[in-house]
Amino acid sequence: MDTLGYLGQGFGVALSPYNLVTALCGTLIGTVVGLLPGLGPINGVALLIPIAFALGLPPESALILLAAVYLGCEYGGRISSILLNIPGEASTVMTTLDGYPMARQGMAGVALSLSAWSSFIGAFIATCGMVLFAPLLAKWAIAFGPAEYFVLMVFAIVCLGGMAGERPLKTFIAALIGLFLSCVGIDANSGVYRFTGDNIHLTDGIQFVVLVLGLFSISEILLLLEKTHRGQEAVKATGRMMFNFKEAASVFVVNIRCGLLGFIMGVLPGAGATLASAVAYMTEKRLAGTSGTFGQGDKRGLAAPETAIGASACGALVPMLTLGVPGSGTTAVMIGALSLYNITPGPLLFQQQPDIVWGLIASLFIANIMLVILNIPMIRLFTRILAVPNWALVPVIAIITAIGVYAVHATTFDLFLMVGIGIFGYILRKLDFPLSPVLLGFILGGLMEQNLRRALSISNGALEILWSSPITFGVWVLTAIMLLVPLLRIWRKRSAQRRIPANA
Amino acid sequence: MLLQRIFAAALLLVSLSLALMAWPYQAAFSYEPVGPRAYPLLMLGLMGLGLMYLILRPTPIQHSDEEPPLDRATLIKIGLCVALLLVFAGTFESLGFILASMLVGIPMARLYGGRWLPGALIITLMSISLYLLFDKLMDVPLPLGLLDILEN
Repeated sequence: MDTLGYLGQGFGVALSPYNLVTALCGTLIGTVVGLLPGLGPINGVALLIPIAFALGLPPESALILLAAVYLGCEYGGRISSILLNIPGEASTVMTTLDGYPMARQGMAGVALSLSAWSSFIGAFIATCGMVLFAPLLAKWAIAFGPAEYFVLMVFAIVCLGGMAGERPLKTFIAALIGLFLSCVGIDANSGVYRFTGDNIHLTDGIQFVVLVLGLFSISEILLLLEKTHRGQEAVKATGRMMFNFKEAASVFVVNIRCGLLGFIMGVLPGAGATLASAVAYMTEKRLAGTSGTFGQGDKRGLAAPETAIGASACGALVPMLTLGVPGSGTTAVMIGALSLYNITPGPLLFQQQPDIVWGLIASLFIANIMLVILNIPMIRLFTRILAVPNWALVPVIAIITAIGVYAVHATTFDLFLMVGIGIFGYILRKLDFPLSPVLLGFILGGLMEQNLRRALSISNGALEILWSSPITFGVWVLTAIMLLVPLLRIWRKRSAQRRIPANA
Repeated sequence: MLLQRIFAAALLLVSLSLALMAWPYQAAFSYEPVGPRAYPLLMLGLMGLGLMYLILRPTPIQHSDEEPPLDRATLIKIGLCVALLLVFAGTFESLGFILASMLVGIPMARLYGGRWLPGALIITLMSISLYLLFDKLMDVPLPLGLLDILEN
């Protein structure tokens, strides 16, 4: 049982006063960031990277801070969904379906605390799952060579498209844009300058913080310009704030089921919180059948997506920590943060720096508890933040974004690049391209190229190495299945469409 | 649909020219079988294939309800906002952080529907307090620019 010993050691790291304060700050910042329109977990985490670095935080504290912000953002997103019926992020769309009706029935406080509780159980289940499976996966992944890694990354990218639902092609193109952008700059192996156009600022490649903030913050700022509604009335959170035992017990089975589901969806690359919450909601709705009042304020309809979001947010950290292959936009940002500290996540991290890994896992437990406790007394303050009008908010977001970008390299070139990338991101968004694949591709691109070249160096150029080992072959089969999923879905939809006019 | 085709075609052109740009990338001497050219060409090639399919069969764009169609007024606003951001990037170092964020932030607040006076008040306050917070408290160095004189 070394795992428990390591976990104890991790709690030792996370419970040090310094790291506790860090986690508390992280959860607070995260909740506010998640609450505000225009800022989500991805830009929240990205903004804090240069700041954590400038503050001189040691790596484990920085990682704890970022993880706490990540969880806090997922948390904050729910407040605007329940009180305003406006989902803070894509993943909380499902929360609005039953959360807002509950708030309208005067149960806003109960809805908020119950959702916090659900998310806590989800995160707890997922963290337990992580404690159980992450070391196993890490042990197994040590046998991975460059060819295995390359294939795994191809799988991660294809998964993204396979899970994307409506628009697999656009997801692929977005991922390829990211994969391509990663090779701008000097090539580490040969010293050739690629796509720099003789610009000295591009020698290092595109800075990852610049890409993230441009793509997500700037495009969001432009998008907010179109939204006409402003100053929407929030439902007042009055009356009972805390759920009672009966209410918690009535959703407990739902919590467990959706927590497991969310964890699995979180571990799978490309699925993530959005899909997990949708699947959880649909499953529970079907299971409840006619006994449910889903859509009119059913507690189960609130608990299901929230549990799944909490679980998948933690589950997504598993592939990131054990394999070094991120599965979602936010974990991709965290990999970027780690690489600033010269830490390469992957199986070796578990052996070489157990303090960081287990400290992070332990701090997830702690951050979750903090969030539940915070949620109840602070709710009035948070609702007040929701009332900040866009005209005061957006310029401040723009200014803070610029600070974040400037903090990395202190050049104005990066600011211009950020605006350029922001415009590009805005166009992509208007044309219905998803943005997080671009980011994921950007992070995976460098690793993918390195591993491909290393693998082919080992085999002296023979391509067989890419599929000769059983692991690579297995992953290729999975990749092929994932490629077939969207095709199958389209085919089924077409045949369904053909059937309707035939019946008419 | 048309916009999508234009965008895909433009991106296709860009990736073609990038591929041309990548063609001469070759290491003078090399220890490895795969040079610096293969990977970007592979990515650009795959992207090109995807884009060609998109030009032939663009997928319909789903609009959410709260997203109004782009009209002239919004486009002008977006253009203004981009211009302001560019001005911000350009003046960040020369004017200094505080002045640049006031110069850009106040019209931006107006653009998002604020009134001049409260906008000016909040942005001025925020620029100064953000400067103090980041530069003094958090050790993120920000340029003072013209206000450099005040420092001494």
